Amino acid sequence: MSRTVTMERSSVNAIGRFKLRWGFWGQTLFITLLALAFFGPVVNLLLWTVAESWFFPHAVPNEWGLKYWGQVFNPYSDVSGSLFTSVMIALASVMVCLLVSIPAGYAMSRRSMPWRLAFMLLFLLPQAFPNLTVYMNMARIFYSWNLNGTILGVILVHSVHGLMYSVWISVAAFSAIDPMLSRASRNLGAGPIYTFIHVVLPQATPGLIAASIFVFLESLDEFTGTFFVGAPEVSTLPLLLYSASMEGNYQISSITALILLVPSIGFMLLINRFMRPEVLSKLGQ
Amino acid sequence: MAHLSIQQLQVSYGDKTVLHNIDLNIQQGEMVALLGPSGCGKTTLLNALCGFVPVGSGSIFMAGKDITNQPPEQRNITMVFQSYALWPHMTVAQNIAYGLKVRRVPKTEIAERIKEMLEIVKLSGLENEKVTQLSGGQRQRVALARALVVKPDILVLDEPLSNLDAKVRLSVRHEIKALQQRLGFTSVIVTHDQEEALVMADRVAVLNNGHIEQIGTPEEIYQSPKTPFVADFMGADNRFVYAPKITGKAFRLYLPKTSLELHHLIYFRSSAASICKDLDNRNLDGLTLTGTVEQSAFLGQNYRHNVRHGEQLIQADSPDCWPLDSEVSVHVPPHALYVYPHMARSA
Repeated sequence: MSRTVTMERSSVNAIGRFKLRWGFWGQTLFITLLALAFFGPVVNLLLWTVAESWFFPHAVPNEWGLKYWGQVFNPYSDVSGSLFTSVMIALASVMVCLLVSIPAGYAMSRRSMPWRLAFMLLFLLPQAFPNLTVYMNMARIFYSWNLNGTILGVILVHSVHGLMYSVWISVAAFSAIDPMLSRASRNLGAGPIYTFIHVVLPQATPGLIAASIFVFLESLDEFTGTFFVGAPEVSTLPLLLYSASMEGNYQISSITALILLVPSIGFMLLINRFMRPEVLSKLGQ
Repeated sequence: MAHLSIQQLQVSYGDKTVLHNIDLNIQQGEMVALLGPSGCGKTTLLNALCGFVPVGSGSIFMAGKDITNQPPEQRNITMVFQSYALWPHMTVAQNIAYGLKVRRVPKTEIAERIKEMLEIVKLSGLENEKVTQLSGGQRQRVALARALVVKPDILVLDEPLSNLDAKVRLSVRHEIKALQQRLGFTSVIVTHDQEEALVMADRVAVLNNGHIEQIGTPEEIYQSPKTPFVADFMGADNRFVYAPKITGKAFRLYLPKTSLELHHLIYFRSSAASICKDLDNRNLDGLTLTGTVEQSAFLGQNYRHNVRHGEQLIQADSPDCWPLDSEVSVHVPPHALYVYPHMARSA
C-alpha cells in the first residue's frame, strides 16, 4: 500500500520537474527574444552613432569614430538649430496646454458641472479621427490664416494634440483633492481665488507636472502635424531625423534619435514619481 | 441677547428637507452639543452655520447681525473638521498661520500667536513638522489650533473625536473641555456619542430627522427626556407598552401622578432596575414585574440579565449573577421610569 503511494508521488514529482524544466527553458527563450526585440534596434542605433563608415556585408562598422557627433554639436549645424526650435515649441505647447487645462480641469473636476462628460470627450475627439485627416484640415485652415510655416502654427498643432493628455490628467489631479481642504480654507476666511491659489493648486501640482511632461514629450516627438503645418520653414528634430534618414545619412539620424531618447527616458522616471495612484484612479472619472 | 441665534431654519437638498424649523440660541462662552444618530441633520446644521449649504428659509444671527446669506469666508465661525482637513503641503506652523495670513495680521504677531497657540495645544517644537507625519491626536490638535488662533466668534467641532482610538478619545475629550473653560470660547460640537455630549457640553440639543427633540442641560436630557426618542437615545433601552388590563400579580405599576386607565409607553435604563427574589407582598411605587432569567452577561461592575416577562424581554442589571431560568422580580423606582402617552392604541 505504502509503496504504491511512494511510486505515485515520485511520478508526480517527475512530471512536476519536467514542467518546471520546460517552463525554465521556455522563459529563457521568451526573455531572450523579448530583449532582442527591445534592445536590438537600440544597439544598432548606438553602433551607427559611432560608425564613420559601415558597408553592407560587414557585421560591425568598418571605421569607428565620433566625427558625426562633432558635426551634430557644431553650433552652426542643422541639428542644434532644430533641437533649439523643438525645445522652444515643446515649452510653448506646455504653456498653452496648462493655460487651457488648469481652468478646464478644475471646472470639470466638479461633479456639478453640466455636460461634464461631453466636454471631456470633446478633448478626445482629435484622437478619434485619423491623424492625417485632422492635420491636413488644420493645415488648410492655417494656410488661410497665414499660420502655415510659422512657429505659432506648429505650437497650436502640438497643443491640440497635447490637450487630450493635459486636460484628462488635470481633471484627475483636481478630482483627487479632498474637497474639505478648500472648505477649510474658506472657513478660515479665504476667498475662492485665494483658496484656489494657496490650497487647490499646490495640491494639484504633481498631476499638472505629469501632464506637462506628457505634453512636452509628445511635442518633442510630434512629426505628422509639424510636417503638414510647419515644413519646410520650421524644422524640428523629428523632421530633421526624417530628412536625414531619407537621404541615407544614418549617422546623423541615429544621433538625433538618441538625443530624442534622452528626455523621454529621463521624464518617464520623473513621471513615475508624480503620478500617484490616487490621481491615476481618478482618470476619466 | 443670545450670541448666536438660529431662527426657524430650514435646509433642503433638492426635494428632501433635511432640517425643519430649527430654533437654537447659544450664549457667549457656552458649549452646545448637537446630538443625534447619523442622518439626523446635525452635520447639515453645522454646514448651514458655516455657510457651506444654502439655507431654504429662516435666519441665522451672529451677535445681532444677520449672517444667513453671507459667504463662508465672511463669517467668523471656524470649524474643526471630522477628517481635520489639514493642508498636507504645509507645515504645522503654516497650517495654523493660514487664517492669520488671510486676515493680514503682521508677521511678528503671527509668529507670537502661533507660539502661544502651540503651547496651548501642547505641540511646541513641532512647528516645522509636515502634518502628514503627525499622529491622529496631534493632527486633531493642529486642527483645533488652526481654528482657534483666529479668535472665532464660534468654534464648531464636527465629530472631533470619531477618528481617535478609544483611549486617546477620553483624554482629548477632557482637554477640549478644559481648553474651552479656560479660553472661554463659544462652541458647538456635533456628536453621535451621548456620553461625549454629556461630558463636554453645557447644553445638549438632541436632533432626530431634522427636528430638535429636546434642548437642555446634560442632567435634564439624561434624567427627564421629553420624548420617547430622547429616552431611547440616552440609553433607556427598555421599552414597553402599558395597557390598563395587564396589571395583575405578575405586573404592577404605581405612579403617583399618572392615570393608570390609559395606555402608556414606558422606557427605563437597565441600570435603574433592580432584581430581587420575591417582591409579591410589598407594594412598591414604580414598576414591579416578575419573569424568568434567560441570559446573563458580565459587564465588569455588575451583571446584565435578560428577563422574560410574557412577550417582553427586559434588561436589568444586578450586582449578583442570577441563575438561568430562575423566577425573579424586577423593580424600577418611579423617578427612573419615563412614561409617555401611547397614541396608537389608547383610542
